Amino acid sequence: MPLNDADLVARVLVDDDHHAFAELVRNHQSPVRGLLRQLTRNDLALADDLAQETFLRAYKNIRSFRGEAKFSTWLYRIAYNCFREEARKRKELVGIDESVLEAEQDPHTVDPALRHDLMQALQLLPLHERSAILLCCQNGLSHDEAARVLDIPLGTVKTNVLRGREKLKKTLAAWGPN
Amino acid sequence: MDEQLQEDWLDRRLRDEMPYIDDAGFTARVVQNLPAPGRRRSFRAAILLSITVLASIVTYLASEGGRFLVVAAYRLAEMPLLFLSLVAISGTLVATAVAASAALSSVREQR
Repeated sequence: MPLNDADLVARVLVDDDHHAFAELVRNHQSPVRGLLRQLTRNDLALADDLAQETFLRAYKNIRSFRGEAKFSTWLYRIAYNCFREEARKRKELVGIDESVLEAEQDPHTVDPALRHDLMQALQLLPLHERSAILLCCQNGLSHDEAARVLDIPLGTVKTNVLRGREKLKKTLAAWGPN
Repeated sequence: MDEQLQEDWLDRRLRDEMPYIDDAGFTARVVQNLPAPGRRRSFRAAILLSITVLASIVTYLASEGGRFLVVAAYRLAEMPLLFLSLVAISGTLVATAVAASAALSSVREQR
């Protein structure tokens, strides 16, 4: 019988069990790497580096996982923090202003031929709306869970999801159901 | 109605755009970079052992060489056998009940 997340975490805590932790990584690697790929605008190598860092931090700090939230929610939070730190480091290196990274891209600067693609439409969203959409609509987190991951108020998550959704609908209007 | 249709369509598309990413050695790379097992445990064990030894020495010295244990043993020996048996049986029953409830809740969680 396969063990659930709580049992695997318990084994890591008590026995420092690498096999149990490997099982946790195997179970969660796909959604965590998927989220990071979307956040890094499909930079696969960077996304995998951040995913690796996410799981290493999870292992080192597993004692701080109290089981109040789902293990996946806790992982998403670490992944999002890793991404934020990396984004901050890169901004410092190339001297990009915070507002540039946060700001919405102008859809007209993107190749119009690619605009029909949903992933391209997602990349057009500002980071706070993209993160909220990815967590809630793509990864199936509740608004409350997404608020914990992003460390922002629940109302802000709802607003970001609503606004992001509206923008996506507008961008993809021609491809929607008729 | 149109609004709802469009929202459902968008959610479906978003979920479809989240394919399963093959592990392709990712887990192995993570595990390779984990700190060696046991180091954390042995460190914790050393701390616990030192504290236990220290506490035992302090208790021994503070209780005039463990005199309270001898006194307690005498007191127990003077108690009626029936009373001692009742205490032992009650203790066993309580321990069994606690263990059974823990086992039941664990089985319920696994389901």
